[in-house]
Amino acid sequence: MSTNTDWLGLKKELPQQRRLQLTILSFVLPLVLWCVVSYVPWIWHPLIHVTDPGDVEFFSAGMDMPKADFYEQNQKAVAEGMAPGKGYPVNPVYLPAPGAVVKAFYTAFITPPLLPGDPWLHESLLHSIRTICWGFFLSSIVGVPLGVICGTYRFFSRMTEPFIEFFRYLPAPAFGALCVAILGIDDGPKIAIIVIGTFFQQVLVIANTVRKVDPSLIEAAQTLGAKGWRLVWRVVIPASISDIYTDMRILLGWAWTYLIVAEVVGTMSGITYFIYQQGRHFMFENVYAAIMMIGIIGFSSDLVLAALGAVLFPWKSKLRAGKKASFWARFNFKPAAAAVPEPN
Amino acid sequence: MQLPDYREQTPEVKARFDRIKQRPVIMKVRDLKKAFGPAESEHVVFDKVNFDVYRREFITVIGPSGCGKSTFIRIAAGLDESSGGQILLEDKPVGGPGPDRGMVFQGYTLFPWRTVKKNVMFGLEMQGKSKHSAEQEARQWLEMVGLSKFENSYPHELSGGMKQRVAIARALANDPRILIMDEPFGALDAQTRCKMQSYLLQIWKKVDVTILFITHDLDEAIYLSDRILVLGVNPGGVREIIENPVPRPRTVEQFLSPEFIATKRRLDELIHGPAVEQDGEDDKLPMIRMTQAGDEVE
Repeated sequence: MSTNTDWLGLKKELPQQRRLQLTILSFVLPLVLWCVVSYVPWIWHPLIHVTDPGDVEFFSAGMDMPKADFYEQNQKAVAEGMAPGKGYPVNPVYLPAPGAVVKAFYTAFITPPLLPGDPWLHESLLHSIRTICWGFFLSSIVGVPLGVICGTYRFFSRMTEPFIEFFRYLPAPAFGALCVAILGIDDGPKIAIIVIGTFFQQVLVIANTVRKVDPSLIEAAQTLGAKGWRLVWRVVIPASISDIYTDMRILLGWAWTYLIVAEVVGTMSGITYFIYQQGRHFMFENVYAAIMMIGIIGFSSDLVLAALGAVLFPWKSKLRAGKKASFWARFNFKPAAAAVPEPN
Repeated sequence: MQLPDYREQTPEVKARFDRIKQRPVIMKVRDLKKAFGPAESEHVVFDKVNFDVYRREFITVIGPSGCGKSTFIRIAAGLDESSGGQILLEDKPVGGPGPDRGMVFQGYTLFPWRTVKKNVMFGLEMQGKSKHSAEQEARQWLEMVGLSKFENSYPHELSGGMKQRVAIARALANDPRILIMDEPFGALDAQTRCKMQSYLLQIWKKVDVTILFITHDLDEAIYLSDRILVLGVNPGGVREIIENPVPRPRTVEQFLSPEFIATKRRLDELIHGPAVEQDGEDDKLPMIRMTQAGDEVE
């Protein structure tokens, strides 16, 4: 047993309470850094927000200017006997304070769109989620079966995978112009970009997972009389389904990373359009809020899927039968990549 | 101690072997050969393996590592191909794997996504039995191996010994002509292994099944089997088929009986060679003194 004071045990798991503390700390640390930079006036704050221009003709109330220029002009003004300008140090507009961003999480939803006819924030978000879901769904209905077939039969693997391996190096956004020419400027090309970005990885990743099915399980099934298609349906697929599910969670995360590039193809749409509009009007607190919302939606949906996975695949859970944990108790902060199957 | 000849059998044991040899032959192995590599420079694992397995016999294949006992089992199961000769199951040559030969592997190979009961039901489902009757039969088999209480558990919730009992029930549920067990208790601790051996004898008593058993454990071979087939290396092939003189029913006390020890000595001789040759080059450790004078182990 390690002592309680040992925080830095080499490759040693920490007790539950400390894990939780550190999880919270991992979010709190960057937040504290951000607060310090935003709220402590003598740290960074490279600009001066002018409140009273005084007699300096360059100055006007409400402008931001570099500190050095501000002091130089004021010195000149004082030397010439004129009233100096007044102001306070601020950060550039692209780094809003945490408070402003937190407020924006609420205000962005109740602020009407900047242009009449533009979508509200929640509409933009829904549009983006819809685009992701369609793209991921269309990719999966072909990609998952193809991956399973490639993982099971070397014939299909050799026939398709070399090309897919080549194709996955082609960056999905490069197909933007092509997609617009074929599918128009609305949602079609955006969904297509997500499909292109997801599909090829999906086939390879799932084929690999299926190939990793323990061959002794297949042999055991054969000695029990399983043959042909039933061997695939009753053994190969159930043996790999929970790992495929984990793959799908990771792939869905990748699909989110394609969202922003997909949404600039054709007419800009969804959350990307919202971010772009807010940025153009220097409302960077809304930009930050929108970016974080993407993160929160992605992260929380993955947590829900992880918990759902524990319910769907009970043989993967370490809990003994009889004291089955509730759906909510299964939430844990393990990233999907770490959810490796138990060595049986 | 003066040991009897391992070939000496009491009248009861002799009568038992006579009865066994009256029974129909379930499995015939004829001139079986396995070799790797190209024909001109092939590495022969074993050659000219010939023996018969009688109905309800418990026969064990034993041999040193590299003698090809696992290869032999895989050929019998239809998972590997032989390089020559054939195995006949009730006079039909075996091809690929099939439910007529039940397999129990060292690594359990239970389906982790199926509960214990569903694991036992697998073969029955493959036979096309209705879900209801498959379930009924599976329950019976689980009762026989004493795991009724665990029918809804998943394999990962069971201990090694329990897993292997499920694997035995799963193989037997298919009503195989022969049950082939490839070092089934090799991964278990000594105590559990001992328990499993007596379980297996009890099951074998209750079920009409022939058992072909693979092991490298001499005690296990003598404790369980009727006949013991010893495979050798260089040249690979059958060294001897020993008719086990230890009477049934078997008990743990017999481990110290003269017949048991005589048989074990003979097996040891066949597998490891006579005691004189045992100190081979590989077995000699370089003589470097790592202790201080006066520190020697007596």
